[in-house]
Amino acid sequence: MEAFKLMRELKTNFEQESIYLPREKGLNLLETTLENDKQISAKCRDAKVEDLWSLTSFFGYSTQTFVQAVNLLDRFLAMMKIQPKHLSCIAISCLHIAAKLVEEECNISSSHDLIRISQCKFTISDLNRMEKIISEKLNFQCKAVTAFTFLHLYHEITLLHTSERKPHLSLDKLEVQLKACLCRIVFSKAKPSVLALALLAQEIEAIQSVDMLEISQCIQRHLKIADGELLYWRELVAKCMTDYSSPECSKPDNKKLVWILSRRTAQNLHSSYYSVPELPTIPEGGWDESASEDSCEDMSCGEDSLSSDTEVPCSPPSFHQRTSVPHSQDDSTHLGAACHF
Amino acid sequence: MSSAATTPPSVDKVDGFSRKSVRKAKQKRSQSSSQFRSQGKPIELTPLPLLKDVPGGEQPELFLQKLQQCCTLFDFMDTLSDLKMKEYKRSTLNELVDYVTVSRGYLTEQTYPEVVKMVSYNIFRTLPPSESNEFDPEEDEPTLEASWPHLQLVYEFFIRFLESQEFQPSIAKKYIDQKFVLQLLELFDSEDPRERDYLKTVLHRIYGKFLGLRAFIRKQINNIFLRFVYETEHFNGVAELLEILGSIINGFALPLKAEHKQFLVKVLIPLHMVRSLSLFHAQLAYCIVQFLEKDPVLTEPVIRGLLKFWPKTCSQKEVMFLGELEEILDVIEPTQFVKVQELLFKQISRCVSSPHFQVAERALYYWNNEYIMSLIEENSSVILPIMFSSLYRISKEHWNPAIVALVYNVLKAFMEMNSVLFDELTATYKSDRQREKKKEEEREELWKMLEDLELKRGLRNDGIIPT
Repeated sequence: MEAFKLMRELKTNFEQESIYLPREKGLNLLETTLENDKQISAKCRDAKVEDLWSLTSFFGYSTQTFVQAVNLLDRFLAMMKIQPKHLSCIAISCLHIAAKLVEEECNISSSHDLIRISQCKFTISDLNRMEKIISEKLNFQCKAVTAFTFLHLYHEITLLHTSERKPHLSLDKLEVQLKACLCRIVFSKAKPSVLALALLAQEIEAIQSVDMLEISQCIQRHLKIADGELLYWRELVAKCMTDYSSPECSKPDNKKLVWILSRRTAQNLHSSYYSVPELPTIPEGGWDESASEDSCEDMSCGEDSLSSDTEVPCSPPSFHQRTSVPHSQDDSTHLGAACHF
Repeated sequence: MSSAATTPPSVDKVDGFSRKSVRKAKQKRSQSSSQFRSQGKPIELTPLPLLKDVPGGEQPELFLQKLQQCCTLFDFMDTLSDLKMKEYKRSTLNELVDYVTVSRGYLTEQTYPEVVKMVSYNIFRTLPPSESNEFDPEEDEPTLEASWPHLQLVYEFFIRFLESQEFQPSIAKKYIDQKFVLQLLELFDSEDPRERDYLKTVLHRIYGKFLGLRAFIRKQINNIFLRFVYETEHFNGVAELLEILGSIINGFALPLKAEHKQFLVKVLIPLHMVRSLSLFHAQLAYCIVQFLEKDPVLTEPVIRGLLKFWPKTCSQKEVMFLGELEEILDVIEPTQFVKVQELLFKQISRCVSSPHFQVAERALYYWNNEYIMSLIEENSSVILPIMFSSLYRISKEHWNPAIVALVYNVLKAFMEMNSVLFDELTATYKSDRQREKKKEEEREELWKMLEDLELKRGLRNDGIIPT
């Protein structure tokens, strides 16, 4: 009785989820703080979570690692007063703890790599200390029940009750949407079960499956989630998704990333072709100069192969030429007139 | 300068290989010269009064006499001969240089042929062959011209003469003609960089002033380059000629003539093929970029040409190409960029995954260029899929940690540019990899099954291995 097992698992997780919720007061404080040197603001936290997402992608960690890391981060930030200069260390520590919880041993990147790639300024011992502190403060309840857990359960349940020929409910897509939501602190205030359900409902609406809609409503009733609450979070999710998929890309802030080059390459960059040429420009043309009649005779002998145009002048130079350089009056003596550099 | 034969040092082998410098010292011959003179008879020149000591009216005549005297050539191979006369010629030449710079009214019709004659006598000569076939322009010291004390002054004099306010090309062109120019161009093969530098200035001035010679000069330079690229791969003056061409290209009138476009495609681009590219790459890149600034429509053929000749085995050249490409991209128009972006980024994607870390590093550094980034941003939906798989793969597999760190910067930039596409590509990449893994595992299984089958068959036949 697969369905029964799933429902029971759902209930168990539902009962536990409040343990792992970050303190609402703490989150509110973050949201209302303005950006300054002494305190972390919501914007800081959001930017840091985005960095964690990049690192997760880069190291090939799973979505679950990311979600766990964000959960640890939020819980920690909600209970402690943190100085902004420590935020990097805390975030990377959370990621490392999460990776150790979720990933296979062989896939976990070393602390050294974490620090090097994220271009952070602290040391490995700092990282280790911070990990200990975080684990202690969270009473070693590190592996949390998160929206990720619920998302998977909901997805399994939905698939169980629908036939395969129906429109496909993509778990990958849901995971990505979850990641996008977690980059905004407001969603950390939601109960994971509700957030996951909001995401599910949103996606089901998008693919327009009546069957799945029924199932999601079923789940909602089973967990006794209020309509109002669900609606509230669905609206926020919808708005987040619109922003996320908008074609306007946020311009990458290259200034934050450091480009460290080897000495040889750096040297080669500087010896570029801008070794300023000393020779002044020689403007082309002058066929309409007074000297051109004489040049006519000289031109006739050398001009066979390469000049394929019919420009060999023996006709009166009456055509108009556009020059890109100010045409010097007397080509023959004043050479330096058009020197640019 | 002749060098006496050196006694070979006692240890001339290190690690079993003879040192190159030692080999060279043993083989060093004296510089030869094609200007043979009869030995023995010392040269006698009657010293003439200084020009400044003579009344104005007599100066032109004296000037001509001094020019005549300077047609006498001295043997610099023999360091001890005719020292007094060599000094006399040197000071005369010096005097002539000053005279030409400041004087007025000395340039009569008679002076032109004498000047050209004196210059021709001094500079036109068959250049000696280079020391050895192994002369590597990038590494070895060039052989300097022995008669430089005189030669330099002759060049200096000629340049001042050409630049003089009274200089009239209409008269001069009777004497500075195609034959003169041809001989001048041959001198560009001189090993002495100082001489080439002067020649560069001389030719530049001649090109500027003699409109009638321009087409001829361009054609001859083409021939030199084509011979260089396709026949000999030896010519010492490529960089200097390219510098002159740079100033010519800069002055091209718009619209560009077909002749010039042909030159770009048939001569300048093939120049990239040559082994000794590093000696003149800066000047070549400058010419290319100037062309593109004149006529942006040429961008596509240029980039296609570069990609066609992209070095496959020489990493040093690859780094140069990447530098040049960045300079081209710095000035590219967005519409042109769109035409070439797919081809371009396929090559960049290959460079980025190169095991040679300098190549990879140089390619990755493109993402630090603001203008290139803006172009990539606008076209991220096309470029990202091309770059993605190699970037992702090397983030896991490259041996060099510095490269991996740079890749992170690039990937992060892409993530921020177009998150939705990035996620799609990540998902596709992962599922592709999983599929590959599955196939590999299936293949392994198949082989194992076959092995087992063979063993079973073998056992059934009482250990006789079936054929």
